[in-house]
Amino acid sequence: MKQQKSGISNSGTTDVGANLFAQKPSHVRMNSHLQKTQSWLLGLLLIALSLSQPAFANESDITTDKATREAYLQAIPAMPESDRPKFIHGRSLVRQVWVIAPSENREIAGLGPLYNRLSCIACHIGNGRGFAPATPQEPMRTMLVRLSVPGDDGHGGPKPHAAYGGQLNENGVPGVTGEGRAEVRFTEHAVKLKDGTQIKLRKPVITFVDLAYGEFPPEMMTSPRITPPLFGLGLLQAVPEADIVALVDAPKPEGIKGRVNRVWDEEQQKNVLGRFGWKANMPNLRQQIAGAYVGDMGITSPLFPKENCTAAQGACRQSPSAGSPELTKEQLDASEFYHFALAAPRQRNANNKQVQRGAALFRQAQCSACHVPQLKTGDFAPLPALSHQIIRPYTDLLLHDMGEALADHRPDYLATGREWRTPPLWGIGLARKVDPRAGFLHDGRARTVLEAVLWHDGEAANAAQSVKDMSASDRKALTKFLESL
Amino acid sequence: MRAIKWIMAACLLLLSQLASATEKVVVLSSYPQEVITPFEAAFEAAYPQYRLEILWRHGRDAMTYLHQPHSAVDVYWTPAQRNFAVLAKEGAFRKLDIDLSGLPKKIGGFQISDPDGYYVASETAGYGMAYHPAELKRMQLPIPTDWKSLMSPAFNGHVVMPVPSKVGYAPMLVDTLLQGYGWQQGWDVLKQIAANAILADTPSTFISDDVGSGREAVGMTMDFFARSAIANENPLRFTYPEKVGYSPAHVAIFREAKNLDGARAFASFVLSDQGQKLLLHPDIRKLPVRPAVYASKPKGYFDPFASAQLASYDYDAASGLMRQELISALFDALITRHHLELKTMWSAIHQAEQKTRNDPRLQEARTHANWLPLTAAQTNDAALQQTFIQRDSRAVTLEQQWDTEISKHYAQATQLAQAILGAKP
Repeated sequence: MKQQKSGISNSGTTDVGANLFAQKPSHVRMNSHLQKTQSWLLGLLLIALSLSQPAFANESDITTDKATREAYLQAIPAMPESDRPKFIHGRSLVRQVWVIAPSENREIAGLGPLYNRLSCIACHIGNGRGFAPATPQEPMRTMLVRLSVPGDDGHGGPKPHAAYGGQLNENGVPGVTGEGRAEVRFTEHAVKLKDGTQIKLRKPVITFVDLAYGEFPPEMMTSPRITPPLFGLGLLQAVPEADIVALVDAPKPEGIKGRVNRVWDEEQQKNVLGRFGWKANMPNLRQQIAGAYVGDMGITSPLFPKENCTAAQGACRQSPSAGSPELTKEQLDASEFYHFALAAPRQRNANNKQVQRGAALFRQAQCSACHVPQLKTGDFAPLPALSHQIIRPYTDLLLHDMGEALADHRPDYLATGREWRTPPLWGIGLARKVDPRAGFLHDGRARTVLEAVLWHDGEAANAAQSVKDMSASDRKALTKFLESL
Repeated sequence: MRAIKWIMAACLLLLSQLASATEKVVVLSSYPQEVITPFEAAFEAAYPQYRLEILWRHGRDAMTYLHQPHSAVDVYWTPAQRNFAVLAKEGAFRKLDIDLSGLPKKIGGFQISDPDGYYVASETAGYGMAYHPAELKRMQLPIPTDWKSLMSPAFNGHVVMPVPSKVGYAPMLVDTLLQGYGWQQGWDVLKQIAANAILADTPSTFISDDVGSGREAVGMTMDFFARSAIANENPLRFTYPEKVGYSPAHVAIFREAKNLDGARAFASFVLSDQGQKLLLHPDIRKLPVRPAVYASKPKGYFDPFASAQLASYDYDAASGLMRQELISALFDALITRHHLELKTMWSAIHQAEQKTRNDPRLQEARTHANWLPLTAAQTNDAALQQTFIQRDSRAVTLEQQWDTEISKHYAQATQLAQAILGAKP
């Protein structure tokens, strides 16, 4: 019955309106302009179909219809009850405020010696996205600065600075001096839209003060990043690598390319596809989580067993550790499972005329060429409920040149200083409900989704221009559509 | 001219450095991140010259840390009433020399701040019942109005009760019942609720989870867990019992505070109108201790100062705090370790009561069911309290004796009730 209703393919995947670019084998290339145009138009038509599809029969198994401030905190409805204790354990770890060693509470000890924040949810408020500080005095509470110097780390990744490492840790445990502070100021300029509307855009300028381990060298590369939301990541990990790679060769509108990042997998000890992080610089959730534990909170784990102290940081190196590692394998497993199981919010008001108009405009403006509406998941053993699902993340997980204005000039594996991974748009309409200060783009410069669109350049220049050329009512419809996600 | 320019540039540089210089205020706390984040942001915005450094430790771990030399903490700000009492006694705090006007030391009969002025209540929370209205309706159960409502056999299997030896907030919850109803009646109520209950031995928010999701109909919990869930649009409700018990949190400044001005600034901020209003945030939902703040409370927000005028009782927090471990051990003996026996016993008694009210064996069964190994006076014995704080060998011996006696009494009560049920009319 389910097959008849939802059109499940032989492989068991619900394939109504699936990502069509992924269907074409990479060796099949059309070489005439006509073929390209036909292919592109067909693609648009099928994306249009996909955007207008009603909810899939099993979409409710892996998404949540909760649209409250707790929208990003929900487990997928299809999570087996037997997995609930593991989910709750993972949740308690994400909520845990960590303790400096030594402590009688060994299981929650290990903060520092250097760190940014005390807990995961200090940055990921409500499991949502971060924001840029409003004033230079305001600390980066949901944001951090990545650091590197020219060269690579031996695996093709950014080369950490000898004294500061790969990330500025503003805080230190008692006896260990924090590395310094990043102050954010903004420069502002106005963008005039075709209908005469002026939108003010702000660009952050970062200055570093109170640097405790020496001045930054002139060649230091810095990249401020706000925290990304935590939900739906299990579903993104469940997308087969081949499908993401196929998107590279899928036909796209003029000027839009897209390529994969290849990054170091600590567990496998080799370079693999990158799919998480602002530059697709993380291979999987486990490494992303373990990386955040050690990088943001100084908590070691089986994946990263060394404290985040450089050779130049003597007091840091002599600071007591809460264990080796501090986060046990069981705790890392629970944290990973929690992230796997977090549901993405389901689209709201999909039948609203303005939303539907906005969806059509999203397509016409070529936004969907990179913010691919649908992907399919493959087999996913850690949480089988995520397997063979149609998902609507609005991303291709690929890197795109976004132009000079957004560039951080800091390469990250194969990603250049101008390239960023297409961030998923699912749940974006609830970002400000979850946290009224939520920002958009990698450094939180955009205060609204429209501002974020207007920053698009490079491969997305035509898309941004289309939006600039829209009438006020069309822009409103586009915004309504994005708010419905 | 060049010299003037140079001096001006130097002054500007100095001013910008002064502007960016911040002093740390070190605060020890065990608040969850949902509380820390808004206070941190609002305090640093109100006092840009200070930067808050939170050292997070709870309970005994906090005491161990504070007893180390050079612990270098300026402020203690947390819900850990006994720690404050002990530290004040040890002389760790200085008298709070900040403006405390508009901050009552009591809510009705509940002393919330230190009478000697070394630590003051910074917020409080009330104990009560979270319930799922749709589940209650589905099961045709009434909305509870008091703890005693949950004693009814109708609630069997639909109540969640926290275990005080496992759940941080539960020792005071249990003690407020024991002091509110009196020692014997308090335990009678607790035991009969427990006979209906699923025991929760996991951290605190899970009771709101269980009730909010409809897995259980009613949970004994603290107001802010439920109120926060309600504020975030979860389908549960919360009601207070007739006599509300409170669990205050406090703020104090250490005698050895390195940044005394910063410490005063933080303590003042926490107690200020602005700080107290932060407690109304949907993710916090604690009860402000500054009555004036309730003028801007959200609709339906509980006002303990108004409520205390309606129903009040004197709660002796000092003795309640000192006997916490002893009461928790008694709870485990009377309820946790004999939960199945307790359920069987009360099921048999309730069934017997349905059959007859006049059989003298019924009273005898109740006497056995309500048997307690200690009197209220014995729980105030300092040596006995220490035995259970330290959990020495005497504690183990006593618990074994209690277990034997409790099993015997529960078995006798069950046999008597079953005998009534088995007896021919």
